[in-house]
Amino acid sequence: MKSVFIVFNQSNTERMEYILDLLSIRGFTWWENVQGRGTNDGEPRQGTHTWPEMNSAVMTVVSDDLVQALLEKVKVLDAQNPEVGVKAFVWNIEQVV
Amino acid sequence: MSIYKSAVKNPITTALMFVAVIIFGLYSFTKLSIDLYPEMEIPSLTVITTYSGASSVDIETNVTKLIENQLGAVQNVDEVYSTSQDNMSIVTIEFEWGEDLDEATNNVRDVLDRIIDFLPEGTDRPQIYKFNTTMMPIMMYSVSSNESYSGIQKIVDEQVVSPLKRISGVGSVSIAGGPQRVVYVETTPEKLDAYNLTVEQIGNAIRMENLNMPAGNIRMGNEDYQLRVEGEFEESVFMNDIVVGNYNGKSIFLKDVALLRDTIEDLKMESRTNGKQTMMFYITKQSGSNTVQIAEQVKEELEKIQPTLPKDISFNLVFDSSKFIKNSISGLSEAFLYALIFVVLIILVFLGRWRATFIVVITIPVSLIVAFIYLYVTGGTLNLISLSSLSIAIGMVVDDAIVVLENITKHIERGSSPRDSATYGTNEVWLAVIASALVIIAVFFPLTLVGGQMGIMFQQFGYIICLTIIVSTVAAITLTPMMASRLLKLREKDANRSKGGWYEKHIISKLDKLDLFYEKTLRWALNNKKKVILIAFSIFVASLFLLKFIPTTFMTQADQGTATAMIELQRGTRVEVTAQVARKIEAEMKEVFGDNLIYIATTAGANDEGGMTSLFNTTGTNIMNMSFKFVGKTERDVSIEDMGNMMRDVLDKHPEIENYTVTPNGGMMSMSGSNTIDIEIFGYDFNTTNKLAQEIKHSISTIPEARDIQISRKDDKAQLQIEFNREKLAQLGLNSATVSNYIRNRVAGMTASRLRENGDEYDVIVRFKEEGRNTISDIENMTFMTPTGKKVKLSEVGEVKELWMPPSITHKGKERYLTVSVKIDKQDIQALVAEINKKVDGVEKPKDVIITIGGAYEDQMESFGDIGLLMLVAILLVFIVMAAQFESFSKPFVIMFAIPFAFSGVLIALFIAGTHLDVIAAIGAVMLIGIVVKNGIVLVDFINLMRDRGYDVMEAIAIAGKSRLRPVLMTTLTTILGMVPMALSTGDGSEIWKPMAVAVIGGLTFSTVVTLILVPTAYAIMAKRGERDKQKAVREEFKFLN
Repeated sequence: MKSVFIVFNQSNTERMEYILDLLSIRGFTWWENVQGRGTNDGEPRQGTHTWPEMNSAVMTVVSDDLVQALLEKVKVLDAQNPEVGVKAFVWNIEQVV
Repeated sequence: MSIYKSAVKNPITTALMFVAVIIFGLYSFTKLSIDLYPEMEIPSLTVITTYSGASSVDIETNVTKLIENQLGAVQNVDEVYSTSQDNMSIVTIEFEWGEDLDEATNNVRDVLDRIIDFLPEGTDRPQIYKFNTTMMPIMMYSVSSNESYSGIQKIVDEQVVSPLKRISGVGSVSIAGGPQRVVYVETTPEKLDAYNLTVEQIGNAIRMENLNMPAGNIRMGNEDYQLRVEGEFEESVFMNDIVVGNYNGKSIFLKDVALLRDTIEDLKMESRTNGKQTMMFYITKQSGSNTVQIAEQVKEELEKIQPTLPKDISFNLVFDSSKFIKNSISGLSEAFLYALIFVVLIILVFLGRWRATFIVVITIPVSLIVAFIYLYVTGGTLNLISLSSLSIAIGMVVDDAIVVLENITKHIERGSSPRDSATYGTNEVWLAVIASALVIIAVFFPLTLVGGQMGIMFQQFGYIICLTIIVSTVAAITLTPMMASRLLKLREKDANRSKGGWYEKHIISKLDKLDLFYEKTLRWALNNKKKVILIAFSIFVASLFLLKFIPTTFMTQADQGTATAMIELQRGTRVEVTAQVARKIEAEMKEVFGDNLIYIATTAGANDEGGMTSLFNTTGTNIMNMSFKFVGKTERDVSIEDMGNMMRDVLDKHPEIENYTVTPNGGMMSMSGSNTIDIEIFGYDFNTTNKLAQEIKHSISTIPEARDIQISRKDDKAQLQIEFNREKLAQLGLNSATVSNYIRNRVAGMTASRLRENGDEYDVIVRFKEEGRNTISDIENMTFMTPTGKKVKLSEVGEVKELWMPPSITHKGKERYLTVSVKIDKQDIQALVAEINKKVDGVEKPKDVIITIGGAYEDQMESFGDIGLLMLVAILLVFIVMAAQFESFSKPFVIMFAIPFAFSGVLIALFIAGTHLDVIAAIGAVMLIGIVVKNGIVLVDFINLMRDRGYDVMEAIAIAGKSRLRPVLMTTLTTILGMVPMALSTGDGSEIWKPMAVAVIGGLTFSTVVTLILVPTAYAIMAKRGERDKQKAVREEFKFLN
């Protein structure tokens, strides 16, 4: 079991939903309107006058074999237009109750 | 959930909501009536009090003063005017505009009730009259005839007026100037003396014979009969055989002592159209009904009636306000359509996509249609003001949609789905959009609060613009994202770009070049800040000098192709002579104007029962009123003002004319009542003020621009006054009242009875033949009977004196005054007033006399003052909105740098177009404050953004400039091109709104250029230090962390 944390520009909301559905990922936690700033170049998303755009984030815990497929999809989405921005992080799940 | 999000999520609800608005709007539209101007209630009441037999001076002291003093205390009274003339006192109370007249009428009535007991005995109850623009006739016909002339009154009354009255929406149809049938019984004093009779005896004999009377019921057997005496004359000739008295045992018949004439009334007023004897009838409409529709129905109805009338009767449409309305409205609609086309083209050129263009353009009908709902709900009409408001709004309502759509498109082009782009794209700009709409509202809302006549005109304007802007903003954050999410498609990457269609090649490349050019210019300007500021400042100062060359007027008059002239001959001239002169002048006018002239309608003389109309027109036996109708202004090459001057030339050639005024565009429709500069002279003594007025008139007449100089107080008129010896009267058992009545019966005539024929009644008037009442000795020789049956001559109980009396005494603010007025056509009013002031100062003023300048000039000063205040309020409100938006005090100043240049642009444009600076142009200038600032906001906002995102000031300005050039140009061009058709239109009535269009086009063009260069430069100067200090301050604050 691994957890995948994806942060993405709000304007990719529908696509993100589609990806989850496509891979039949049922469980996830979704945050709307989160702020963020890219490590190197990514444009800040702060919902301010200066940086009006916002991110959303989704965390989903999936079986190991699904992680690769999910990351592939995220990559494709990112390739669509790097400016819009999407980032995925993966880490292990120790225990589930 | 936010409004735009739900709009995108619920496209059907959103669409249907706007459809509902459109349906209600269309419904309102069909219910709207068409008129020339918004309906307005002139805030004045007139109190007319008659006191028969009193001279003007008596009326002044006994009636007018009393009423004036009391009425001055009524709430919200602006000014009290009064005219005291023989038999009548007319007090006009002017209230402040917007006063509720119903309540005012009640207040006035209360006051009058209180003083009614203090008025002299014999005074009639004061009557209150209210005037409204709907009381003005909308159509006027003259009816000309040959053989049927004597019966024309009856024919028109029965066969024309009654059917016309039945048309719904028609308020009233009144007849003027037609001949009235009258039966005169004219006797001579000699005959009466010979047979020992009096006028009263003859009159009474006729009255006693001419009657029908029920005499009770009679029962005979089973029947019940009504008993009646039928003594009424069936025809006037039967009167000849009445026995009026006995002399030496013989009956004296009426025919023995008097001549019976069944004829038409003596000529007191003669009216002719194109030289043919005519009568007039005019039609007024009910408040709120549709002028154009009524006019059409009236015309239809008349066509139906025409064949049923005698062949020699023909109708002539003297005046038809619907025609001018129709032409101006269709002219405006045309301008509106062109504006729409221009706006669509601009958007298409800049956006390059049909669908995007459609999304933006759809906001135009949606927001404009709300104006119809507003008009319908508030009972307004479609008129010049409301339609030009729409024309002006057309270029502005797209702005918000453009901003929103631009941002949505940006997201879509980055590859997001249309739905997400629509929601989040709108989210990013919706506050900015609302702020910029607020700026516009800040400018237009104060317009609705302006007072005075101008306020009534601009109330609709202000409300319509505000409402359409609000709706367009709502549409921009709901309808636009919704439609964008549905209509815009995510293009496959690289599919279209690389291909480079026609649009990319020809338009995008040019726009790109423009961007580059602008960036270069901007960078140059940033490097030469001082130079730029200096140049700009000198342009501004230089443009102010143009003010000297731009003539100012109050309101440009529309060329309606009509003119009126009032021509006065020597006082006391008989109607017949006046009419002869009128024929001569008519012939000369026809020669001068040739084919341009459609008709001349002339009335000569005074109809003493003229009633209301004589309040508006100066009449008298020596006065003729002519109205001219010319062909439409596009069909002739002489302006109406020049034609007015040609008329003056004709009139100047006649030595018998004492005085005249020519009013180009005169007639029923001229909006501003008085179009004169009035020099008001206040003073009690008639002689001093008259003399002063003459001196002033003389000195002003040396100014070549001053035309038609008039002194309001007419020359004293000759009057014969009978003074009784009361003691003698009393001895004879007579009193002043009875004797004056006797004299009246002999001179004016005694209405003895009425002849009834076919349901109509005609007066039977007994009086002396003209030869028996023409000289002073005739009057002195009049005989009347004392109660004891003795006969006395007037000379025994009184004498006849010749006197001079002022015909009327006018007051303003309870003080006697008179005016010397100068007509304004197209002259530069400000310059003229300066000249007049100089001349008036040159005249030596006696003590106790006050001279002020009023009239149209006063109105103009007041209105310009109002506009000045309006400008201040607008600037302040705009500043508040901007300061709030930028959370800064300095940035708004940077943007407001552009405002003075907008005014420079206005002046330059007015100068080039040769248009006068009038109230409408000034309103245009006020509008500019909002529009200009909006451009600045877009630019400064983006510069701020770039700086926050970490760019250096110079860089930020350059980037912002390049990126915002297109949106600024686009919104500016839509506004400018929206007005171009208005500025270029030459149709009927276009003169009125033209100055505004010219002002806005000029001001906006000029100020946009300035905004694009000067505002960034000013920004650079102001912002240099600010940002560095801010960072330092933050570092200082969190020192402990360093």
